[in-house]
Amino acid sequence: MLSLKGVVAGYGGGSVLQGVDLECAPQTITCIVGPNGAGKSTVLRVISGLLKPSSGEISMNGEAIADRSPDEILRRGITQVPQSHALFPTMSVRENVLMGGYLIRKDRALLRERLDMVLERVPIVATRANDNAGNLSGGQRRMVEIARCLMLDPKLILLDEPSLGLDPRSLAGVAGLINELNQAGTTVLLVEQNVRLGLGLATHGVVMEGGKVRLTGTATAIKDDPEIASLYLGGASGSSPGGPSSGGPSSGGPKTETTSV
Amino acid sequence: MTHLVQAIALGLLIGGVYALMASGLTLIFGVMRIINIAQGAFLILVAMLTWWLWHETGIDPILASVVTTPLMFGFGWVAYRLLLSRIRGSSASMSVLLTFGFALVIEGILNITAGNKFKSATPSYFEESFRVGGVSLPKAQVFGFLAAMAVLAVLYFVLTRTWTGRAIRAATQNPSGAALVGVGAASTAALAFAIGTATTGVGGSILSVLYPFFPASHYDWISRLLGIVVLGGMGSLPGALIGAGILGLAETLTATYGSLNWSTLVFYIVIMVVLLFRPQGLFGAKLREDTV
Repeated sequence: MLSLKGVVAGYGGGSVLQGVDLECAPQTITCIVGPNGAGKSTVLRVISGLLKPSSGEISMNGEAIADRSPDEILRRGITQVPQSHALFPTMSVRENVLMGGYLIRKDRALLRERLDMVLERVPIVATRANDNAGNLSGGQRRMVEIARCLMLDPKLILLDEPSLGLDPRSLAGVAGLINELNQAGTTVLLVEQNVRLGLGLATHGVVMEGGKVRLTGTATAIKDDPEIASLYLGGASGSSPGGPSSGGPSSGGPKTETTSV
Repeated sequence: MTHLVQAIALGLLIGGVYALMASGLTLIFGVMRIINIAQGAFLILVAMLTWWLWHETGIDPILASVVTTPLMFGFGWVAYRLLLSRIRGSSASMSVLLTFGFALVIEGILNITAGNKFKSATPSYFEESFRVGGVSLPKAQVFGFLAAMAVLAVLYFVLTRTWTGRAIRAATQNPSGAALVGVGAASTAALAFAIGTATTGVGGSILSVLYPFFPASHYDWISRLLGIVVLGGMGSLPGALIGAGILGLAETLTATYGSLNWSTLVFYIVIMVVLLFRPQGLFGAKLREDTV
C-alpha cells in the first residue's frame, strides 16, 4: 500500500533521514520505534508532504507521491495526526472536526454523512461539540485530532506518538479507537516512544536508528528480539546485547534491512 | 451631564470607524504575521480616490465605497501575489521594511498626482447633525459609523460562517494544523490580505469625509491603528474592536474635559499602562495552554 525507497530528507543543511526503506501492507498497524533523533517523526512528515524528501521514492498504491503538496496527499487518503499542536484552540470542537473535511467542503451531503459517522465513532465530539478545543484535556484533544482526520475517510492514518502526555485511561481510549479504525479497514502507521504500548498495538514493527531502518518484522518478533528488548524494554531475560538476530527468511521473524545511503 | 453623554456618543461613533480600519490590520497580522505599515497609506489612497470620485461625479463619498472596496480587494490580492508573498516565512520585521517602503511609494505617487495639500470631501450633510435628546450627532459621523458596522458584520459572517473564513481562522491559529487538513497557506494568505485590504475601501471613503487628509497623513493613521491593534492584542479581532472603542472614547473625553491637544496622548498612556500588566494586549489568549 505505502512504500518508501531510499528516502533522504532533512531540515536546513543536514539529512535526518539517510535512505529509508519502508513498506506498509493494507490493513496493518505498523509501529516505528527507535531512540530520539532516529528520524521517526520525520518519516511521517515526509509521507504527509509537510517535508519534501531530497531524494528517494514514496508511493501510495503504486502512485508516486513524493513531489505532491500536502493537500494532494490528503486527497489520496493519507492523513496525519501530529505529536501535538494540531487543533485550532479558539475554534469549537465541532468546527475543528468540520475543518477535517475542508477538502470535501463542496459536497454537503458527504460532509454531513462523514460528520455523523465521526460523531458515532468518537462520542466526545458530540458531548463537547461547542467547547473550544483549547479547553480540552490532553486525552480529549488527541481523540478530537483523530476524529478530525476521519472526516476524509482515510485509507492510511499516520499517528505521531499518540500516547504522548496521556494518562492510562485516556491512553486506553486512544488505543481502543486505533484498533477499531484498523478493524474497520484503515491502515495505520504510528511512531511511538512507548515501545511496549506501540508494539503491543501493532501488527508490524520497524526499528529506526540514525536516520535508517535497522530492523523490520512482525510486532511480536521485534518485541521478542533480544537486542530490542535490552535497548528499549529494560532488558530481556538472559539475552546478551549482540547484533540483531539476522535470521534467515523465517516467515515473520525479524530480518536485518540493508539500507544504502 | 449632557457633555458626558455627548462625548461618549461621539467617542463610540469614532471608535466604530477606527474598529473597521484596525480590523484589516489585525486580520493580516493574525494570518501572515505581516505588520502592514502600508495600511495607513491604503486608507489615504482610497480617501484620495473617493475625493476624486466625489469631486468629479458628485457621488456620495461614503457610498463610493461600493466602488473602492472591490477595487481594494483586487489591489490587495495583486499586492500580495507580486510583493508580499516574496517574504513569506521571513521575520515580521522584514514585513515592516517592505510595507514601509510600499507606503512611501504610495505617498510619493499621491504627492505627484494629487499634490501635497489637504483635501476633504464635503457632501451636502457635512455640517448637519441629528439631535437626540439634547445630544447632537453629526450626520457624517453617524453614516460613517453605520457603514463601518455593516462591514464589520459582513466580516464577522465571512469569518465564522463560511469555509473561506474558517480556513483563515484555522491558518491564524495554527498554520501547520491548517496545512494538515488541506488549507493551502499561500491562497489563504492572499485572500486574507485581500480582505484586510478591502476594509480600507470603506475605511478610506469614510475617512475622506470625517478627516481632512493629505498624502503624508498615513503616518498619523498607521500609528493610531497600530496602537489599537497592540492594545487589543496583535491578531485579535475582538481586541481591535475594544481597542478602537477605547481610542475613540479617550479622544473625545479628553477633548471635552481637557484639551484637544492632549487627546491622542491620553490613548498612548492607556496603552503603556495596559502593556505593563498585560504584555500580550487585552485579548491575549486565555487558554489552558497558549497553543493546542
